[in-house]
Amino acid sequence: MGSLFRSETMCLAQLFLQSGTAYECLSALGEKGLVQFRDLNQNVSSFQRKFVGEVKRCEELERILAYLVQEINRADIPLPEGETSPPAPPLKQVLEMQEQLQKLEVELREVTKNKEKLRKNLLELIEYTHMLRVTKTFVKRNVEFEPTYEEFPPLENDSLLDYSCMQRLGAKLGFVSGLINQGKVEAFEKMLWRVCKGYTIVTYAELDEPLEDPETGEVIKWYVFLISFWGEQIGHKVKKICDCYHCHVYPYPNTAEERKEIQEGLNTRIQDLYTVLHKTEDYLRQVLCKAAESVYSHVIQVKKMKAIYHMLNMCSFDVTNKCLIAEVWCPEADLHELRRALEEGSRESGATIPSFMNTIPTKETPPTLIRTNKFTEGFQNIVDAYGVGSYREVNPALFTIITFPFLFAVMFGDFGHGFVMFLFALLLVLNENHPRLNQSQEIMRMFFNGRYILLLMGLFSVYTGLIYNDCFSKSVNLFGSGWSVSAMYSSSHTPAEQKKMGLWNDSVVRHNRVLQLDPSIPGVFQGPYPLGIDPIWNLATNRLTFLNSFKMKMSVILGIIHMTFGVILGIFNHLHFRKKFNIYLVSVPELLFMLCIFGYLIFMIVYKWLVYSAETSRVAPSILIEFINMFLFPASETNGLYSGQGHVQRLLLAVTALSVPVLFLGKPLFLLWLHNGRSCFGVSRSGYTLVRKDSEEEVSLLGSQDIEEGNNQIEDGYREMMCEEFNFGEILMTQVIHSIEYCLGCISNTASYLRLWALSLAHAQLSDVLWTMLVRVGLRVDTTYGVLLLLPVIALFAVLTIFILLIMEGLSAFLHAIRLHWVEFQNKFYVGAGTKFVPFSFRLLSSKFSDDVA
Amino acid sequence: MLEGAEFYFNVDHGYLEGLVRGCKASLLTQQDYINLVQCETLEDVKIHLQTTDYGNFLANQTNPLTVSKIDTEMRKKLCREFEYFRNHSLEPLSTFFTYMTCSYMIDNVILLMNGALQKKSVKEILVKCHPLGRFTEMEAVNIAETPSDLFNAVLVETPLAPFFQDCMSENTLDELNIELLRNKLYKSYLEAFYKFCKNHGDVTAEIMCPILEFEADRRAFIITLNSFGTELSKDDRETLYPTCGKLYPEGLRLLAQAEDFDQMRRVADHYGVYKPLFEAVGDGSGGKTLEDVFYEREVQMNVLAFNRQFHYGVFYAYTKLKEQEMRNIVYRSSSFEVPIL
Repeated sequence: MGSLFRSETMCLAQLFLQSGTAYECLSALGEKGLVQFRDLNQNVSSFQRKFVGEVKRCEELERILAYLVQEINRADIPLPEGETSPPAPPLKQVLEMQEQLQKLEVELREVTKNKEKLRKNLLELIEYTHMLRVTKTFVKRNVEFEPTYEEFPPLENDSLLDYSCMQRLGAKLGFVSGLINQGKVEAFEKMLWRVCKGYTIVTYAELDEPLEDPETGEVIKWYVFLISFWGEQIGHKVKKICDCYHCHVYPYPNTAEERKEIQEGLNTRIQDLYTVLHKTEDYLRQVLCKAAESVYSHVIQVKKMKAIYHMLNMCSFDVTNKCLIAEVWCPEADLHELRRALEEGSRESGATIPSFMNTIPTKETPPTLIRTNKFTEGFQNIVDAYGVGSYREVNPALFTIITFPFLFAVMFGDFGHGFVMFLFALLLVLNENHPRLNQSQEIMRMFFNGRYILLLMGLFSVYTGLIYNDCFSKSVNLFGSGWSVSAMYSSSHTPAEQKKMGLWNDSVVRHNRVLQLDPSIPGVFQGPYPLGIDPIWNLATNRLTFLNSFKMKMSVILGIIHMTFGVILGIFNHLHFRKKFNIYLVSVPELLFMLCIFGYLIFMIVYKWLVYSAETSRVAPSILIEFINMFLFPASETNGLYSGQGHVQRLLLAVTALSVPVLFLGKPLFLLWLHNGRSCFGVSRSGYTLVRKDSEEEVSLLGSQDIEEGNNQIEDGYREMMCEEFNFGEILMTQVIHSIEYCLGCISNTASYLRLWALSLAHAQLSDVLWTMLVRVGLRVDTTYGVLLLLPVIALFAVLTIFILLIMEGLSAFLHAIRLHWVEFQNKFYVGAGTKFVPFSFRLLSSKFSDDVA
Repeated sequence: MLEGAEFYFNVDHGYLEGLVRGCKASLLTQQDYINLVQCETLEDVKIHLQTTDYGNFLANQTNPLTVSKIDTEMRKKLCREFEYFRNHSLEPLSTFFTYMTCSYMIDNVILLMNGALQKKSVKEILVKCHPLGRFTEMEAVNIAETPSDLFNAVLVETPLAPFFQDCMSENTLDELNIELLRNKLYKSYLEAFYKFCKNHGDVTAEIMCPILEFEADRRAFIITLNSFGTELSKDDRETLYPTCGKLYPEGLRLLAQAEDFDQMRRVADHYGVYKPLFEAVGDGSGGKTLEDVFYEREVQMNVLAFNRQFHYGVFYAYTKLKEQEMRNIVYRSSSFEVPIL
């Protein structure tokens, strides 16, 4: 528990790593995840660091592995993920591994290249057969068309001339045929027309089945085309255009026999290719299967290795270049673990000189480490989302564990809803080791990570639900109501008495729509309900008025207790940071300010509850008026709550008024005085300690270290004073701003806690509406249809309950609870200006394939 | 276009402008360049670029790394960004983007024609083409033998078609004619782009027009400089000058008469904008070349374009700045390249 109250003490340690063993030592450290490295080479650019070569090698290995994973995935071979994570490979194995992987890559690339080539070949042959099949029909058509074309030229002299010229030159009909991508057909045809000025005939037909593009591997629709043309020149142009549009051009057989021959030849070649391709694919699969076994461990190993070298890049070299010096933050509790890890690392590498460490004093603020377990983690996350705590500051997460679910439950007070939430969370908690939950997607993951928060929220909601006596907006009558209606009918009184006391008779009951129970009549109110609100209120028409008054007062009381607690936690902070003056000059005035106004308000509420009973309730003064009068000093004295109230109130006001200037000016003036007094004082003190240090230095190493530390502390304190004093104006400004914020905040924050009332009211009303609009309607219908109707009504009720009341309302209550913690509670004491301790740990590396593929 | 872009600009183009400003923030900084200077091998460059916005864009490249690999990958990255902008743009921004690609298309067409002249295979040259200026008909460019052929057969349906009005001729495409064709195309392209921006009005015109004016004048200077000692006649030279710059019309007429660098300098002296630029040019031994000076000035204008909001100039400026950055990296990288014997 102590570790959750404050972050752990850290120390800065220097590790002296012998250059031969540095790798092993870091590997051991990484497995344990004990320390956070500091970058000692911040001004050295990334490519000038010492271990750039090694990092590069790791990247090369990663590239090969990524390629392997890609190929394995493409072949649909399952990738086994190992349970254990293998340690970083020893340096001797790295070379071996690299060689092995490189060989594998070369082999794979070659096989895939061959495979691709074969595949491309096959595709081309298939395309060719398709083309032959389709163009066969073209030729027939062409034969039919040709005469008409020949008849056509005489109409135009020009083309006739051209035509006859070409014939004279011995130009003969040429064919270009092939396949073209569906999308390009139109542009292709246009271009052909423009370039060849119509001396070509293009015929094309869509291929009925889509084929794979040999270059991109996409499956698309193709068109088979046949271009007939005259003359060499145009032929060249046509070919160029075909190239331009990436057509797949295949030789066109001139005669039927040729066509047949080619087709037969193609068929046999396709058969051959199929068998060869199968064999290649089988072989490839074997290679990949073998590779798949070790790929996971290789990926992890390379990642670890790369991480180690990144860390080594942060170390600086010692003058003699024999050892690396690393500076690390380490929790003091883990120092012996660190030593052991270093020893282990040295032993493993068989070095003669072991690596060692020593702690060095520092003035820098260490990172914040708060150890959490699976239960506290969620609550710590809520606090960290606001800001990571400053070093050794009081950690609000400890208190959040209870206050957060509690404040949530105040807003979410419903026995039934709370129980459903509790069950859901319990389900998550009981199955927390289930792998599917661990790897679930975003939203589910959010619920999973907050399962313990949900569990507590559910439990507390059950509790507040019992107090509010609300179960799906209905009250539960467990112990029997404390109110008796029959007592109102009491016949032992005379009619005159009955009239006077407001007792009921038949005519009253018959003629009044609303009847009022009077607790002052004996027997009507038999005493409070043992737990929570009396169920009879569920029937009352003035239920809301009653609950509102109750919940409002409760919110104010809870809020003020919560905030006061925050201010008190501030005192713990001041004590720990040895700033006692802050207690007297900041915390105490703050407390007085709060308690004298709002503490007194609570007192009045409780006092009124205790002192006034049903009989005297008519003379009870309004708290609101009394509270306002406290500030206004009205001329006419009212009959207050108790005698001497005026004097007490005036005293409280005086204390409040006095605490304000102390709050505003106390700390700055004290610091100013301190500085003026200390400046000479401090010099003599440090001189004194110096002398003492000299004299005792020979006594013992340990002793001198202690003194040094003490000396440091004094110097630290002194330095702080100096720094702070140097701008008195700034301190004054900060303090004034802080004070204004606090004083105004006290009022607005108290009002802010009224959200507890507002949200709980909203929740109760919403569930009430759901009940009356759905279930009551369903229950009212006649028995014959009612059964049929009730089923969908209940289903709808369940769905709406879950989505609106549980999820939506739950989220809003959750957000408001977070706000109350972050703003109203934590600004009383929490600075949250720390940095998180991020240890060098292999566990933080992702061990998923999906990440390195992406 | 109505005045007051701020009222409706964000409705259509706000997302893209935000995006391009974000991209601009990822340009290499002074510190990055200092680090790049310290690099000793291409691997160093790669490692350093990994820490910048380029990320591990070279991760999947097999060794050995070459400058051209870096260059292609960088271009691909720019192209990806540009394509994204373009695919998400609405009119008239998409027309603006089309205009931007036209200059790359012209370059590619000329490159391909030069290649065809030297009997190189299309595939070989295709690799060198700028990906921003790619279009399907491009590969068929070498069918054409004359500019009008080129227009009629290949480019009639591309955005380049309107720029051909001045250069329809039946001359065979030899090296000089190709160069003339390039400049004429560029001239009409710049004028059309200028007109587009001018008509668009508003901040876009205020930003883009000076940039395009400068571009036009730069071309005029460079054409003049390159034509010294060639057989290009002065009249022909004058027809190549884009007429949308500050030099138009007197400056261009004077430039057409210029015979050496000093005369050119004298022309520039009449213009307050160009005088300091020519003064900054060093003499033959070291110092900056005219081209460097122009680049600097261009970058400066592009950077300033980001100071205003609600205009299309940022897209142009970003692309140009990124190109300059790529030139810098390639320049830096190529100094490591040792010819392997």
